[in-house]
Amino acid sequence: MASIGQAPSLKRRDPPAGREGDQLIITPLGAGNEVGRSCVYMSFKGKTVLFDCGIHPAYSGMAALPYFDEIDPSTIDVLLITHFHLDHAASLPYFLEKTTFKGRVFMTHATKAIYKLLLSDYVKVSKVSVEDMLYDEQDIFRSMDKIEVIDFHQTVEVNGIRFWCYTAGHVLGAAMFMVDIAGVRVLYTGDYSREEDRHLRAAEIPQFSPDICIIESTYGVQLHQPRHIREKRFTDVIHSTISQGGRVLIPAYALGRAQELLLILDEFWSNHPELHNIPIYYASPLAKKCMAVYQTYINSMNERIRSQFATANPFDFKHISPLKSIENFNDVGPSVVMASPGGLQSGLSRQLFDMWCSDKKNACVIPGYVVEGTLAKTIINEPKEVTLMNGLTAPLNMQVHYISFSAHADFAQTSAFLDEVMPPNIVLVHGQENEMGRLKQKLVTQFADRNTKILTPKNCQSVEMYFNSEKMAKTIGRLAEKTPEVGETVSGLLVKKGFTYQIMAPEDLHVFSQLSTANINQRITIPYTGAFGVISHRLKQIYESVESSVDEESSIPMLRVHDRVTVKHESDKHISVHWTSDPISDMVSDSVVALVLNISREIPKFVVETEAVKTEEESARVEKIIHALLVSLFGDVKFGEDGKLVINVDGNVAHLDKQSGDVESENEGLKERVRTAFRRIRSAVKPIPLSAS
Amino acid sequence: MVCRVASTIDAVLLSHPDTLHLGALPYAMKQLGLSAPVYATEPVFRLGLLTMYDHYLSRKQVSEFDLFTLDDIDSTFQNVTRLTYSQNHHFSGKGEGIVISPHVAGHLLGGTIWKISKDGEDVIYAVDFNHRKEKHLNGTVLESFVRPAVLITDAYNALNNQLPTKQRERGFIDAIKKTVEAGGNVLIPVDTAGRVLELVLILEESPLNCPIYFLTYVASSTIDYVKSFLEWMSDNIAKSFEHTRDNAFLLKHVSLLINKSDLDNAPAGPKVVLASMASLEGGFAHDIFVEWATDTKNLILFTERGQFATLARMLQADPPPKAVKVTMSKRIPLVGEELLAYEEEQNRIKKEEAMKASIIKEEELKVVHASDNVGDPMVIDASNTQTSQEAAVSHGGRYRDVLIDGFVPPPNCAAPMFPFYENASEWDDFGEVINPDDYVIKDDDMDQGALPFVSNMDGKLDEGPASLILDMKPSKVVSTELTVQVKCSLIYMDFEGRADSRAIKSILAHVAPLKLVLVRGSAEATEHLKQHCLKNVCPQVYAPQIEETIDVTSDLCAYKVQLSEKLMSNVLFKKLGDHEIAWIDAEVGETENGMLSLLPLSTSAPPHKSVLVGDLKLADFKQFLSSKGVQVEFAGGALRCGEYVTLRKAGDASQKGGLSGTQQIVLEGPLCEDYYKIRDYLYSQFYLL
Repeated sequence: MASIGQAPSLKRRDPPAGREGDQLIITPLGAGNEVGRSCVYMSFKGKTVLFDCGIHPAYSGMAALPYFDEIDPSTIDVLLITHFHLDHAASLPYFLEKTTFKGRVFMTHATKAIYKLLLSDYVKVSKVSVEDMLYDEQDIFRSMDKIEVIDFHQTVEVNGIRFWCYTAGHVLGAAMFMVDIAGVRVLYTGDYSREEDRHLRAAEIPQFSPDICIIESTYGVQLHQPRHIREKRFTDVIHSTISQGGRVLIPAYALGRAQELLLILDEFWSNHPELHNIPIYYASPLAKKCMAVYQTYINSMNERIRSQFATANPFDFKHISPLKSIENFNDVGPSVVMASPGGLQSGLSRQLFDMWCSDKKNACVIPGYVVEGTLAKTIINEPKEVTLMNGLTAPLNMQVHYISFSAHADFAQTSAFLDEVMPPNIVLVHGQENEMGRLKQKLVTQFADRNTKILTPKNCQSVEMYFNSEKMAKTIGRLAEKTPEVGETVSGLLVKKGFTYQIMAPEDLHVFSQLSTANINQRITIPYTGAFGVISHRLKQIYESVESSVDEESSIPMLRVHDRVTVKHESDKHISVHWTSDPISDMVSDSVVALVLNISREIPKFVVETEAVKTEEESARVEKIIHALLVSLFGDVKFGEDGKLVINVDGNVAHLDKQSGDVESENEGLKERVRTAFRRIRSAVKPIPLSAS
Repeated sequence: MVCRVASTIDAVLLSHPDTLHLGALPYAMKQLGLSAPVYATEPVFRLGLLTMYDHYLSRKQVSEFDLFTLDDIDSTFQNVTRLTYSQNHHFSGKGEGIVISPHVAGHLLGGTIWKISKDGEDVIYAVDFNHRKEKHLNGTVLESFVRPAVLITDAYNALNNQLPTKQRERGFIDAIKKTVEAGGNVLIPVDTAGRVLELVLILEESPLNCPIYFLTYVASSTIDYVKSFLEWMSDNIAKSFEHTRDNAFLLKHVSLLINKSDLDNAPAGPKVVLASMASLEGGFAHDIFVEWATDTKNLILFTERGQFATLARMLQADPPPKAVKVTMSKRIPLVGEELLAYEEEQNRIKKEEAMKASIIKEEELKVVHASDNVGDPMVIDASNTQTSQEAAVSHGGRYRDVLIDGFVPPPNCAAPMFPFYENASEWDDFGEVINPDDYVIKDDDMDQGALPFVSNMDGKLDEGPASLILDMKPSKVVSTELTVQVKCSLIYMDFEGRADSRAIKSILAHVAPLKLVLVRGSAEATEHLKQHCLKNVCPQVYAPQIEETIDVTSDLCAYKVQLSEKLMSNVLFKKLGDHEIAWIDAEVGETENGMLSLLPLSTSAPPHKSVLVGDLKLADFKQFLSSKGVQVEFAGGALRCGEYVTLRKAGDASQKGGLSGTQQIVLEGPLCEDYYKIRDYLYSQFYLL
């Protein structure tokens, strides 16, 4: 709310002259100039956000992790996971359970439900040595309790960091996060697609333009074919292969895009009755488990699938049967098998590949983006030979087709998206170095006239930006009854909550915040057996304003000192001092207490009746003291006529009128000295006069 | 009442999917000209729609219900904007700067407390909230809002107190068990898609071994949709789904029925039936009541208070009536003479309409012609008088008229001629102005999405009587009055899912709005709550009558200033919970773009009354003192610290919002060292500014 209307200043200060607080740092800990192990660190105004927490599918063990040692996990406030894919979520159990991280983690409902299934499967499938295991199933289970869920568009505020998410259209539950810290907004797209497909919605265009957009660049400057053409190529390849008696292998990630392919295949089979005797297998134990998730979170899918859902569940496939393992697979004739993993690193898809790769009737359709370093990436270039799992080499005779359904944005989508979102700063992540470089070049030309900064940091390379966010405060309540003119003063409480400031009168504090003010009324009783008048007299000697009155309720005499402290004569035995705490009153009350104690010590000393006589005696004494002091200062001091003192200093004569303090002298210097001296002496010997301030 | 304001309404916010909260929406949209955008959460939208279907069908079964039709319901709900909890929806245009957001209310699935904010001031609309966590819902988050400018809430439950949830659930199951074991049937009249969900879960988890049926016109679609609303439900349900993927609404014990004949065909023996409508005024519950009420073994178990002047209310009276008069109504197809009469009537109406239409057309034609007598008689330019679209529509009719009525020469024609209408097209610098929509090729995918309502109506509705309504076959309602002897047992148990009196009061005291508006609730309850709140919550409590307008305009003044770097570098904030706070003295200046800004004072700061900021809780302070080794105990509401010193709060501490916002703390004691020590500890609890 704070950000509407009054947009924060986007003015960048080019030299890093700004204070520490204005510096926004973005550091990719993974996915900087690479695809895999997405993890982007962001820090601004002492708040720290980590986006995604993935692993690199081509590596194993610790090597697959993002560079967590670059940061101090305990300083991170919020960790946001965009979707459940391994390269975006799989190092989360490690980060939550094995590091000092103690912030909060958020992901969408669907992501959380699939996250657990997918990672448990990943732990089981990845065949690495025990010391290379990053975490076990228990860790995943424990991490579930720490993960909080966020719904699309729901605004959450943690520690002054406000964030919400938009549909990203990549897989079920995929989100783009918008983070707002002190009015500076950062959009992290994760993997996104602006194209609606058979079950997902397209990524949304955020309502507000972010100041920084951290965007994926997987496909760089490539352009996708239109969806129906890709679907046709896909089904044509499969149709022709199986009609020639071949087998089709589709290596795919277990969850996410596989569901889309299954929807296409199931529909194609329904429309082609002649294919009904050809089996389609979906070899993933996860398939069945995650169906419940797909059926439940139907509300985050598109209208098309929701309207189908009204009649029958579209994820209840008629022509697709599950396949548990290679042992249960009866390889007797043409068939279509979709198996994970998508990169052909190991597992069922690799076993089938090894069996089928040397027969030229067979085909392998790679349906999505493949990560550098995997076998799937290698065979796209159609080498003559491949190395099998058992180490032998075999000729690669099977047809390899690469038809992408991976639901990443292509160049057209990226450029149109950025054109609408209009971020002044763009940070590219999640893309191979070359692709990213080409994309950067094209974007630089596209946004040449907009002064847009495009950055492509490598892993652990920080980019710094400066946001001189003006601090705005709202003056409210009594203090704001009149808007002040320039030059007037404003005094009040400045209350800061998160990054919003309010100025208000202390009386209004409880109205506009949960804070409250307090008054501490103190009442102290002091034993005192003397006359109350003595206290009154003594106080009058010290303080200018001492009012005597009588308490209305109990009709006991009381004194009010400077309207702050009240002294009451409670009984013959004791008096009480009342006041409301504040530094000055506390001091006054302390002096009152000290005074009373002193009186008790030397009673009875004075009686009110003798006051007049005493004054005369006193004044005579004062005269003497003044005279003595003046003598000590100036030496030659005589009593002159009309009660004036004549002071003679080195031939210069000054006449001092003791009553008024007027000094007459021809020597200006002496006159000034005498006047100052007399003023000081008088203030030292006489009690504080009532009128003085 | 709505009709007078209908045209001035800018937005409609729906809070619960039941007839009390959205039942009149189709009527207001259709008949009263309400055309504002409607906002609701997804479950309120979906379950609200189903509730309206069920309500309509139940009503239509027994009466000539004509306030709105199923089509009206569909069209009303078609353009509801759906929001998620805590989503900030920013209005644009007329409402620029206003942000609305729905928040969890408890009570019903998707139930909403609306927060409407502008410039940091909040108006909260919270009716029917529930603070208790239930099986399928989380408790309300109302308590997280602090000091809104206005809070609108209801006093419906202000006089009721509830037993703990566990006890109520046990009582509920026990009552059913007893009846069933004695061979009786249990009827639970319920709403369509609201509180019934909680009851379904309670019954689903209960150890009852008799058949349980959930019977409404839309029971199966209700549960189907509810299954996909897990993210709106309680943490427990969400958690169990995440861990085991067991959807709580995948019902094993409760069978869903959409047709009373299915119930009649069910195996004999004791059974539990949840049926709509809760008021017993119609629907399956009404019919079942009439059948079962006469048997002493049976039990009618009410879970909510009946609304005024309904059968349910009558039966809940104490003592319950011995017999009630009910109207049995049935919709039957017309046959024989009646059908003939009906058809004749329809034909007559049709003919009349046709006549009327042709008369109107003729008149139109005349008017057109008449208006043309000033222009060139050879060219009749239709687009002068009508927009081109209307003209295009009416052309066809006119040509037909020409053919039917024969040749009608325009009265001012020089010679008889056929009327000629030029289809004027507009031109601009680039040629003919075209409508781009005419050339848009519709995407196939999109078309499929356009008919969700129609498709889900087809499969799921009751085939029998419902089809009579849907097909619009001629039918009529036949009513018979009969007296039903109420011999069965009647029990009322509170499963309304609303916060009870105690909870309402404590929540209101915590929220402490600046102004409080009470709506809905009996006069007695409203007055009770009003008096309570006047004393304990805030000084401005309104309880407007219907049609009474109250002014709760905020008297808040505010202006914005910029805080200059120079000033801020000298401000030392003190941290207090979420807040940081400081005293500032500043001079007002102006920035380049005319904003006011605060600069440091050029002269020395004027003295100000010091402010102690902090909220002292005696109990916390006691702990603090004892941790410092001071003997401390409570004695008569005051805290005795050490031997002599006492500390107490003066005035009513709970009165946060009201008359004086400042805590009054009194520290008393004789002059001694302890006194000053304790005072220092006390001061350490506050910030002095």
